Amino acid sequence: MSYRIPGLSQTLRCLSALSLLAAGLSSPALQARPVDDVVDSGKLVVFAYSDYAPYSWQDESGEAQGIDVEIGRRFGESLGVEVEFLIRGADENLDDDLRVNIWKGDLVHGKYADVMMHVPYDREVDIRNELAVLTSPYFQEQMALIVNRDMLPTVETFGRFVSNPIAVEVDTAGDFFLSNAFRGQLLQSIRRGRTFADAQRLYTSTEVGALMGARAQMEWVAHESPDIDSDIVQPPMPGIVRTGWPIGIAVKHDSRDLGYALGDVLTEMIDSGDMKELYARYGVEWLPADLQ
Amino acid sequence: MKRKHTMLAVASTLALGVAGVCSTAVAADVSIEDIMNDQASGGDIVSYGLGPRGQRYSPLSTLNKENIKNLYPVWSFSFGGEKQRGQESQPLIKDGVMYVTGSYSRMWAIDIATGEELWQYDARLPEGILPCCDVVNRGAAILGDKVFFGTLDAKIVALDAKTGKVIWRKRIGDYEAGYSYTAAPLIVPTEAHGPLILTGNSGGEFGIVGQVDARNPDTGELVWSRPTIEGHMGTLNGEESTMTGKKNETWAGDLWQNGGGATWLGGTYDPDTQLAYFGTGNPAPWNSHLRPGDNKWTSARIAIDPENGEIVWGFQSTPHDGWDYDGVNEFISFDMEKDGETIKAGATADRNGFFYVLDRTNGEFISATPFVRDITWASGVDENGRPLFNPENRPGNPAESADGKKGESIFAVPGFLGAKNWMPMAYSQKTSNFYIPSNEWGMDIWNEPITYKKGAAYLGAGFTIKPLFDDYIGSLKAVDPSTGEIKWEYKNKAPLWGGVLTTAGGLVFTGTPEGYLKAFDDETGEELWKFQTGTGIVSSPITWEQDGEQYVAIVTGWGGAVPLWGGEVAKVVSYLNQGGSVWVFKVPEGLASR
Repeated sequence: MSYRIPGLSQTLRCLSALSLLAAGLSSPALQARPVDDVVDSGKLVVFAYSDYAPYSWQDESGEAQGIDVEIGRRFGESLGVEVEFLIRGADENLDDDLRVNIWKGDLVHGKYADVMMHVPYDREVDIRNELAVLTSPYFQEQMALIVNRDMLPTVETFGRFVSNPIAVEVDTAGDFFLSNAFRGQLLQSIRRGRTFADAQRLYTSTEVGALMGARAQMEWVAHESPDIDSDIVQPPMPGIVRTGWPIGIAVKHDSRDLGYALGDVLTEMIDSGDMKELYARYGVEWLPADLQ
Repeated sequence: MKRKHTMLAVASTLALGVAGVCSTAVAADVSIEDIMNDQASGGDIVSYGLGPRGQRYSPLSTLNKENIKNLYPVWSFSFGGEKQRGQESQPLIKDGVMYVTGSYSRMWAIDIATGEELWQYDARLPEGILPCCDVVNRGAAILGDKVFFGTLDAKIVALDAKTGKVIWRKRIGDYEAGYSYTAAPLIVPTEAHGPLILTGNSGGEFGIVGQVDARNPDTGELVWSRPTIEGHMGTLNGEESTMTGKKNETWAGDLWQNGGGATWLGGTYDPDTQLAYFGTGNPAPWNSHLRPGDNKWTSARIAIDPENGEIVWGFQSTPHDGWDYDGVNEFISFDMEKDGETIKAGATADRNGFFYVLDRTNGEFISATPFVRDITWASGVDENGRPLFNPENRPGNPAESADGKKGESIFAVPGFLGAKNWMPMAYSQKTSNFYIPSNEWGMDIWNEPITYKKGAAYLGAGFTIKPLFDDYIGSLKAVDPSTGEIKWEYKNKAPLWGGVLTTAGGLVFTGTPEGYLKAFDDETGEELWKFQTGTGIVSSPITWEQDGEQYVAIVTGWGGAVPLWGGEVAKVVSYLNQGGSVWVFKVPEGLASR
């Protein structure tokens, strides 16, 4: 299967990650500074969100883990550089995250990354954030529930949660949907975790029989808790902002060539089946980005 | 033997004391009585606000309306380094030494006689701290031989006043969970525990629950803590004490667990009522449609008994806040003469645009009057102190535009940065007026076209702040608290973001983002004096007396929340340069009497 990434120039698309390596990392085809800078410095800084299993998180020793982290390591291997992970929490919205993590840096240290993982690929966001470039969608995100079959044998609609509690990470898309759903009828049933791990614990401790979030997060929870008879369901979500959207990466506006080079790595991973295999190791079914 | 031991101990204490002194200025111990009497003693400033009530009124009158024209700089001290941004600090003065904090959690001790640095403390800030609203610090506290201040990574540090060496350091909150700290700590007396050092907390929009902590100043050990949000348990002496309010009384579901109400501006204390007063921030989430109810005690003032951390009373200025009218503004105790009676009152100028006078013994509402023009969110305040909401002016629920289109925009006054933000007002015992640094601006609010949060599609709201008038945003007003009448007004092109000082000499001081420290006539508002400091002023001026001369000082350095938010206001401030210094002024010898 061939998977094409939009936004790549014809020339660069020919240049696969492998040929980049073969060219000795100093290919004259790459004129712009940022890829050269990254290669010269011997280090690629990759941003990924904290507390975001199975995509990215830090384990107890502070080591970065997860699907997006493994992809980041692949970026480093392909460019022949070390990878440093910048793991930070989410700000109020993606526009803030792009500012803090890609083009301006944080207020205290002014630090930002060369590439940001897990960026929704959206034309409007791209236009609105002219100092960042969104590129290379590599995955399709969806919303879903995980339900404990022993506690909730059937969940066909959200009506189930007028009288049954449901866990969710506070102030996320899932929380926003549940808080607004059916004119506030679920408000009393929402059990919010301060982090995703907290919300996950509410489910795995069987304190509540359902958890809402991204589909991959739900599959990960099922994968991590084989003792619970879990089901991943996607009942109708009236009023949800979007049921699915593509996920890509972002680079700073003057680093487009870096985005192209990393996009080639993603294409190679997808075409070779490595991507599917990587997701599967976290119990997640990889879905190709749906660009309509 | 016993006697010998004691002698040895004394000798080593002396040795330590001598070793630490590296200047002619000798720092002496500050007692809790010194702090309580700070306002009356003109020779030092040992509290934030020139006295625990925070009136920012000095009884000094050497400097007056006649000789202010002769006020000249004595020295200027640069904070140095590459770190600038907003300097919102108020210095402390004790025995010829100035203790001043700066941006990025730094502190200096300066010999006032020479302007030379005695020591500097630079907090090593960890990576991964993300303070929401600039890297400011508002000042220190002092007691005994220690100075205390809070750092951006949500810690409180006690330093040796003589050397700047760390004595203890304690965590107020987890910076990785979004907590931060910027306010000046408050020191209060108690019978049960001796003096305590009180801190609030600050942090981002979510997951933060407002809290006031009381610590032993010698060790930093926590004595009590009081969450501001109903349903949360307080602690006393290491054990659970009582719950704040009643769980779910004014919050549906479990949102109270992450409710907001941060006490990010710190507090004041009144020696008469022996109560500590703290303001509390806005509730979370921002979208009020997701959290029906009053959401206590967010956007409120609370009075806390320092003996045990119990809330004695609470007053909510903006119940069910949907405009980000973060009600943290300082509550200033004062005695109000009205109809031949003396009322133990307290006043607060809220971000929501109303100036409230309350009975400070019990929180009962006395009056509320607008101190900015054209307020839209409420038509007024009823006889119980509750706002008369204007329902059309409540920001809409983004969920109601699920098509992801930019919804209709509403214009609300004041804007989210408030009719008055953090910058403290002053109360004159001479004129009985409050001097309020305010801003005349509003905000457009609309339902944002689609955005994303932590990788997921989301509907938020967009805000942009807009001036109300072409020629000015900032407005310093003299307000009579017994009537709410505005006695005079000084208009400033850029928004005012600095504190106010008033004196028995009939002067009102404040700084402007344009870089001027200005002095006004307390009765007429006439501008009597100004000095250009070279960078914007967003801090609070002080005055004190040393060797028979009256000094004035101001910290300078443009920054704070205004340049971070921008909007149309950005045009007014975009040319302002950053900086970071303290300026000290006095009237040269021989000119004071003229």
